[in-house]
Amino acid sequence: MASTIDEVFCIHDRLSFGLTENGTDKNNRLFGLAAPDPIKCRTREEDMKRIIALATAAVLLASPMAMAQSGTFRQAHEYGFGAQSSLDPISNGRIFQITEKIMSRLVRPGLDGRPSPDLATEWSANEDATVWTLSLREGVTFHDGTTFEAADVLYSLNRVLDPEMDSPARSAIAMIEAVEALDDMTVQITLDTPFADLPLQLMDYRLRMIPEDSGDTIATTGIGTGPFMVETFDAEGTTVLVANPDYWEGAPGVARMEIIGIPDGQARLQALLGGQIDMERGITAQQSVMFQGSDRFTIQEIPTGNWRGLVFRTDVEPFNDLRVRQAVRMVADRQELVDLVLGGGGIVACDTPVEPNDQYRADLSCPQDIEGARALLAEAGYPDGIDIDVHVATLEPTWPTLAVAYQQQAAAAGIRVNVVQAPTDGYWSEVWMHEDVSATRWNERPADQALHEIYLSTARWNESFYQDEAFDALLAAARRELDFEARRALYVQAQEHLQETAGTLIPYHVTRLVGVSSRVHNLDAVKNDAVRWHLITVDE
Amino acid sequence: MLQMFLRRLFLGAITVAIVSMIIFAGVEILPGDACTAFLEREAQGRVLENCREELDLNRPAVVRYLDWASDALRGDLGVSANGQRSIAEMVGARLQNSLLLAACALIVGVPTAIFLGVVSGLWRDRPVDLILSTGAIFAMTIPEFVSATVLILVFSVWLGWLPGIVLTSANAPASEFFPEIILPVVVLAMVMTAHILRTVRSSVIEVMNSDYVQMATLKGVPYWRIVFRHALPNALLPAINVVALTIAWLLGGVVVIEVVFNYPGLGRMMIDAISDRDLPVVQAIALIVATVYVGVNLTADLLTMVANPRLRTLYTRK
Repeated sequence: MASTIDEVFCIHDRLSFGLTENGTDKNNRLFGLAAPDPIKCRTREEDMKRIIALATAAVLLASPMAMAQSGTFRQAHEYGFGAQSSLDPISNGRIFQITEKIMSRLVRPGLDGRPSPDLATEWSANEDATVWTLSLREGVTFHDGTTFEAADVLYSLNRVLDPEMDSPARSAIAMIEAVEALDDMTVQITLDTPFADLPLQLMDYRLRMIPEDSGDTIATTGIGTGPFMVETFDAEGTTVLVANPDYWEGAPGVARMEIIGIPDGQARLQALLGGQIDMERGITAQQSVMFQGSDRFTIQEIPTGNWRGLVFRTDVEPFNDLRVRQAVRMVADRQELVDLVLGGGGIVACDTPVEPNDQYRADLSCPQDIEGARALLAEAGYPDGIDIDVHVATLEPTWPTLAVAYQQQAAAAGIRVNVVQAPTDGYWSEVWMHEDVSATRWNERPADQALHEIYLSTARWNESFYQDEAFDALLAAARRELDFEARRALYVQAQEHLQETAGTLIPYHVTRLVGVSSRVHNLDAVKNDAVRWHLITVDE
Repeated sequence: MLQMFLRRLFLGAITVAIVSMIIFAGVEILPGDACTAFLEREAQGRVLENCREELDLNRPAVVRYLDWASDALRGDLGVSANGQRSIAEMVGARLQNSLLLAACALIVGVPTAIFLGVVSGLWRDRPVDLILSTGAIFAMTIPEFVSATVLILVFSVWLGWLPGIVLTSANAPASEFFPEIILPVVVLAMVMTAHILRTVRSSVIEVMNSDYVQMATLKGVPYWRIVFRHALPNALLPAINVVALTIAWLLGGVVVIEVVFNYPGLGRMMIDAISDRDLPVVQAIALIVATVYVGVNLTADLLTMVANPRLRTLYTRK
């Protein structure tokens, strides 16, 4: 059950600029110049509701003291890590649906997705971006009453960096060499390499601040500085959170939250439909039909950087031939895949893992080219086409559909795809990165991290065994480059290089559907980890 | 009779032992282990080694089984592989919940089933019998997850009368499970009622056609006196075994129902434990369920013997 379903919700949310109606507005997404409009809803009524909600929020913000908490907000989590479930934000078993409400980060994504102050109020770097200085927010207290200060930051970050902890969050800030306190409210971070985008990394959804020396107990106490405090923790049953009246941004609008473990997806859907929970993030395109035309629910559509795809290992026959790799990717009609597999709920990608709204996303085009693929295959010595086994599992429910749709598209170019169903159990350990062609899925990461973690020659998760010195050099240069435009040009080049040479077919990024009961108001329609939980209110 | 009882007890113990071996082998054969299930993509190199060491997965399977078995014989179910909690403690609450669900379903289901079974047996081939029998066939053949989903859709989503799924936590007192428990009980009662009803019906029909009932009729015994005094006691005997099997089925954790309704009983725990590759927990639950099955069946056989003079004399006169 340690299912990656949970992972789907635990996201590095980055840099989502204006999400326009078609979700792909280039000007917006490249520079974030246009006014961000992160909310995209189904109905006009919803727009009205939003305006009312925002107006209400403005009133409430203006008079935080006058605001009394009321009502209970209920949400489910997947109990995806079973008995290993924990409130430790950096452990493998963290329950994101709880930690996101009880703990804060130094930097968080604003509604536009860009780094915005949380527990750090401002930050600056030295000239070569190797030493960063962060000022901390004054007057913030943990749920246990202790004051938040530099020592807590040192402890929290060093805990992530400690190799003994084996924290999966470590890779996000592996470039940190040392964290020091200049005074009680100032922290200095020294990097082992120039890194101009450190704030992006500090936004990682797991990098939440906990009190100094609380590591041994944090898994059950969940003491943080967030808008809600843990009253009882029961991963398998109902975890009760209560409002933290001392939250630095103002007291929350909801008095109580219940985060309930419901492992079965169907049961969660029924709970939402029956009014037992107020929000569910994992609605599929097929299920969303059930909510249409109902005034009891709204569906938020939120573009993400999560992607699914097919990996062709670049180190084995016939994919070690660049032309074959290009051919197998060229045959895909990506828009058709979005329509068939996701019911239209996705944004086409041209084999770049960088999400549509990231400031470093390259503007690529990749139309289906059957004739071109045929020609390339013939040139590579396969005039009669090739036979390939594509391994999938129901671990990710859309993989089999993706593989079959691809099978049909590829057949036109003489690529005969045999879809092999592998067992879900042991897929990651025995199929992925072992078979020549297998399905993969990744959750969004900042551009730099996605490119490094999945494509760098030495990356642990280099799933396509991609070895390319030119690509590695581009990434290294980008990290050193302090000028934003120049840095962006390098990341774009790296993505263009990938489109040319990679072995991984990334047809799309997935759009998430969030079902919300209409008794909930002011829920930001943004990615998971940018939601401002203290603002929401519920009808009694 | 005592010898017979001891023999059955011994056979039961062997059955339980064999079941536990099969379950152990089965989970062992599945690809992946507790560590790969938990770590997923992280399951490589040193992290994986550390995890296996911590969970004690490096010893040969046979050694681990024997260790477990000898502890279990002493009543020590050990600790779960994940989270390292006492299994006896974890299973205790779940077992109580499954018992609660089973008890409710039995209290509702068994009297209904017997009453309806007798009615449709006595009024054989009349409209009431046709309706009941047809209804029973539907209730038996529609899979539980379908009837469960339909009931949730109707009573919880459309009408909004009852909560659709159970959100009460595993350790809550029994009273807190109402009204959430109603829908799962109804679904279970439907399935078991159908089974018991059909058994009772055919046995009532058989008894009412028997020579001694005909004799009584000819003697002029009033109809209802024949039914209650002479026919039903015999007709209900076969029902004991069906009810026993039903009880065993209920106590074994009605896996599908518990998952659909998110009910925190043994069945859902079993599913979670299998996904987590938590062998000790899977083993413990399998042991409990197997014991319940064997125990309930044994009791039912004994009860039948006690209730049926023919069977009883057969053994005591040996």
